[in-house]
Amino acid sequence: MSPEVHAPGWEWYYIGLYFFFGGVSAGAYFIGSLAEFFGGGRHRGISRTAFYIAFPTLLVTPPLLIGDLGQPLRFWHLLFDARSGFPYVNLSSPMSVGSWALVLYGAMALLSFLDNLVAEGVLDAAPFAKLYSRLPRKVYAVVGSAAGFFIAGYTGVLLNVTARPLWALTDPLVGALFIASAGSTGAAAIYLVMKWRQIHPGPELEEFERFDRIVKVLEIALAAAIVIAAGRYAGALFRGPYAVMFWGGAILLGTVVPLASNVYAHRPGRHVRSEPAAVLMACLVLFGGLLLRISLIQAGQL
Amino acid sequence: MPKGMFVDTTICIGCKACQVACKQWNVLPGEPADFRTDPAEKIPVAVNFTGDSYDNTADLTGTNWRRVRFIEQFPENRAGGRWLISSDSCKHCGDAGCLNACPTGALVRTDLGNVVVRQDVCIGCKYCLPSCPFGVVAFSHQTGTARKCSLCDERIHNGLGTACAKACPTGSIAYGEVADLKKKADARLARLKELGHAKANIYGYREAGGLNVFYLFDDSPSVYGQPEKPVVPQGRLVLSSAVTVAGAIAVGVAALVAFRERGDGESRSEEVEK
Repeated sequence: MSPEVHAPGWEWYYIGLYFFFGGVSAGAYFIGSLAEFFGGGRHRGISRTAFYIAFPTLLVTPPLLIGDLGQPLRFWHLLFDARSGFPYVNLSSPMSVGSWALVLYGAMALLSFLDNLVAEGVLDAAPFAKLYSRLPRKVYAVVGSAAGFFIAGYTGVLLNVTARPLWALTDPLVGALFIASAGSTGAAAIYLVMKWRQIHPGPELEEFERFDRIVKVLEIALAAAIVIAAGRYAGALFRGPYAVMFWGGAILLGTVVPLASNVYAHRPGRHVRSEPAAVLMACLVLFGGLLLRISLIQAGQL
Repeated sequence: MPKGMFVDTTICIGCKACQVACKQWNVLPGEPADFRTDPAEKIPVAVNFTGDSYDNTADLTGTNWRRVRFIEQFPENRAGGRWLISSDSCKHCGDAGCLNACPTGALVRTDLGNVVVRQDVCIGCKYCLPSCPFGVVAFSHQTGTARKCSLCDERIHNGLGTACAKACPTGSIAYGEVADLKKKADARLARLKELGHAKANIYGYREAGGLNVFYLFDDSPSVYGQPEKPVVPQGRLVLSSAVTVAGAIAVGVAALVAFRERGDGESRSEEVEK
């Protein structure tokens, strides 16, 4: 491992934001799907909101990805061979496989989004009804949540499978961390949008917060393991602006404080969650998730 | 039959004819200055220009595909000391990290074993940069693409050697069939060992699937700025993916634990409605 391995020079406002929005979208989508599978019909409010979040947040990502390219107009080379025009995939490249996963996931997120609109009567069902009766919702929710997990996690594999010291040493943990973070940021986004749409989740909110607790514990454990694995290259996570982002933003404000607030609100003998506090915590989780991506991407390039 | 180069650093005199030949043949412009304001000087300084070494390139970049490294080992009192000089470029690895990482097929290996970035295909995603364990591939802001040594692709496919090898006045850079070059390198290593160069070693027989451009060093590779054990990152892809899948399963189980039905009749009736 050499300290002279070139940094790609990915900008936080392109790649960092893409990792974040991709994670929120994918996290919301797989939570929505899983809540629908495991919860029967009780979590319809959660899953509907999740599918409303997944597609619009995903729409933000292609301009971010294309904007970072040195030759933006050639972005289609990611999917099709430049000479023959046939579909192209390089199975040893997470970026190549991830591009196809984005297409598949985008299609599923769009179907779920349209399905929502039809179900809530926003969209006239006539042109879609036939299609939906043939393609059951659960089929594309299964394919979509699998693709969603892929989108949430492949970005971590993409960083790990390089020769940059910080990313290479933290292999193979960053993918799992990003999936856990996608889970908690997706859950936070769902909560905020439910508040905004004034859907009162009622008793299932408690199950929702239970999910959040488990995922945040997983996130803290993985973040700790990553710092230990980084060893002598962890310095970029202990000094300078990315140390503040990682420890102060991602770990403390984005994970530990919301987890503590969640546990405190559900301590035995108490059943009322303070709503402003819950909204604040959801905002902190989203902010922390963004800083987690930015700090790991940028610290790895120092 | 793979073609390659054998770089015998022990006879390099640091004339940089190879750098010049490379720039001329490949029509590479001068390195753009990267001006930053030095807090001590309070004036803008081109931080990528060395000025403190005979090594004038400091790094392999989009415009410097060859770099003559000067390892200047001198004590404070200037008594004794030595120069180590090594002309560095792309190694055209047998298992190339950049080639594995390329999402567009812009990076290709030709029939002669050299690894080339097709400039009309590259989209400038920059993923090959951190995937090269040697820090060779670089991004050019002038072309918006990744650029590196091509082993003079158009020369070698027309029966000429590489421009740098052609220009080298001491034979430090030799171009040819990799198999022939290895024989030459082994003989030279044996001769150096006879002369008492105990640390002399050949760099590139096993590294990264075997390097088509390999080196004879008089000291350990790290002294020459090369990684002792270069790791082709895609070797970790399966394990990294497996652990990420395990993470996905863990989050899925968390959802199962949190959201599963607890056999209340109310939820059943809702499912029927759907």
